[in-house]
Amino acid sequence: MPAVPIEFQRVTKVYKRLFSEERIEALSDISFQTAPGQVCAFLGPNGAGKTTSISLLMGFFFANSGEIRVLGYPPGDIRAKRDIGFLPENFAFYKFLTGPQLLRLHVQLAGRNPIDGEGRIRDLLAKVKLAGYENLKIGKYSRGMVQRIGIAQALLCEPQLVVLDEPTSGLDPAGRREVLQILAGLKSEGRTIFLSSHILPEVEQIADHVVIINRGKLVRAGSLSDLLAAGNRVEILADRLPEDLEQSAAAWGVTVERGPDGVSLLVDAARKRETVEALWTAGCDVIAMNPLRRTLEELFLKEVDSGGGAQ
Amino acid sequence: MKVRALALNTFSSLVRNKIIILFCAGCVCILLFMLSTLLVIRNMRTTQNLEQMQAAVLPLIASMMGFVSGFGSLLAAWSAADAVSSEMRSGTIFAVMARPVRRWEFLLGKYLGVQLMMLVFVLLMTGLDYLLAWIGGAKIQSSPLALMVYPMVLYAVYSAIGMLFVTVMHPVFSFCIVLVMAIFAQLVAPTANTTFLPHWLKTGLFYVLPSTGLLSVSRFLTVTRSTLKLATWGEHATALVYGLDYALVCFVLAAWIFHSRSLSRE
Repeated sequence: MPAVPIEFQRVTKVYKRLFSEERIEALSDISFQTAPGQVCAFLGPNGAGKTTSISLLMGFFFANSGEIRVLGYPPGDIRAKRDIGFLPENFAFYKFLTGPQLLRLHVQLAGRNPIDGEGRIRDLLAKVKLAGYENLKIGKYSRGMVQRIGIAQALLCEPQLVVLDEPTSGLDPAGRREVLQILAGLKSEGRTIFLSSHILPEVEQIADHVVIINRGKLVRAGSLSDLLAAGNRVEILADRLPEDLEQSAAAWGVTVERGPDGVSLLVDAARKRETVEALWTAGCDVIAMNPLRRTLEELFLKEVDSGGGAQ
Repeated sequence: MKVRALALNTFSSLVRNKIIILFCAGCVCILLFMLSTLLVIRNMRTTQNLEQMQAAVLPLIASMMGFVSGFGSLLAAWSAADAVSSEMRSGTIFAVMARPVRRWEFLLGKYLGVQLMMLVFVLLMTGLDYLLAWIGGAKIQSSPLALMVYPMVLYAVYSAIGMLFVTVMHPVFSFCIVLVMAIFAQLVAPTANTTFLPHWLKTGLFYVLPSTGLLSVSRFLTVTRSTLKLATWGEHATALVYGLDYALVCFVLAAWIFHSRSLSRE
């Protein structure tokens, strides 16, 4: 049975200034885990503690309390790092190297023979649309090209777990679509992806699992379908709506919108049958009935605006 | 493989480092100025003032050699401090440390990259020593190997100290501390006539600070007299092992501190 890719158990991280009593609790009692082969979106507003969490799981920082396991090992353990591909936020690079030179360096840092990695480097450069720029120094790259070479280095050693901190930042819409396609490819290969991003419609396309944190506290965690289905509403489209029925509908909390094609009624899923029967009884024709899902963005904003995680 | 890749990358990075290039350009300017003075003195030499001119030329050569050696120590300390801190500052360390690289391997790679750069410096310095001796009409009577090994060990010590301090503080502070240590190491040497320090402090500092006198080539080489002071293999071995031991202790301490510190953009 494969190890749990990422496991946080009651993790707390406090920043303390040297020679000062000031304490900033960046993470407070955070617990969550991801399953193998899953795409887990790690969301939160700026300053929520996302980068701190990622730094903890990569072994850059140390937690004050709690336990973190990455692929079954403690963070920073080189046995785990052999199977991790990581793209940091604002990927920094050695400006004097070219793309292939940077990837060769990373092949060596992974303890592999650079000669064996040449084919893989060529493929990856083509995959991230950097073929043809082999002789260009990274210092001359555009922001999008830097991000793409960063993604290439993260995928270099065919990792089991890919940790991406804002992978689409700096990319144009076409570039973002390409990254999503790469991630979809990784997902189909059964790799686990832990992804932090602010571009929620894109995350929604690919994520299976969502973890939302705010002000260092866990707000929501669960499968994307469950989280978006919660509080489901249904849209019922009728040809007309008599006035007396509209008054009753308002009392049930139904939202009515009149349009050129008829009348749209937004109803709680629990009241859909009752509403449809009332429409039929009133002689109205029900043209369509569609379940309405919340978007990830709506869910995220609701959780953050409601002060989730606030003390 | 990993350490070698890190060392070569560090070397490539250091030779492109603008501060280090500026540092070296300043050193070259001072040397060129001293060299022009030296050439003027040499050209004013006549059969009547030969002894007087020789007496002026040789101390100038000795001071140039001392300057280059001292500059090398500071260069080693700064390079080591900057090699680590620039990775943290720029954030390049995150992609590197996400690879299966242990923290001490990272530090060792950085350290060896600095030593590689100092080796190039020492080769140039040795060439300059021979050039200056030739201009001054003197002959260096020491083995070129000894002329290279002693500065290398001295620079290994200073770069290890620089690396030790930069694991806990800003590189500028680290460099300043190394500079102060180097000055005090000269002041507390048994040959120095320092009177403003109490005896107990002088003795204590002598034992704690790196003994630059012991690792200086001037111990067995004096250009001013163009003669070789006698130094046995045992003496060479003792001095060099002392230096390497000092560097090793500093490096191990640096690795120990670095192992448990957070890696963040400073």
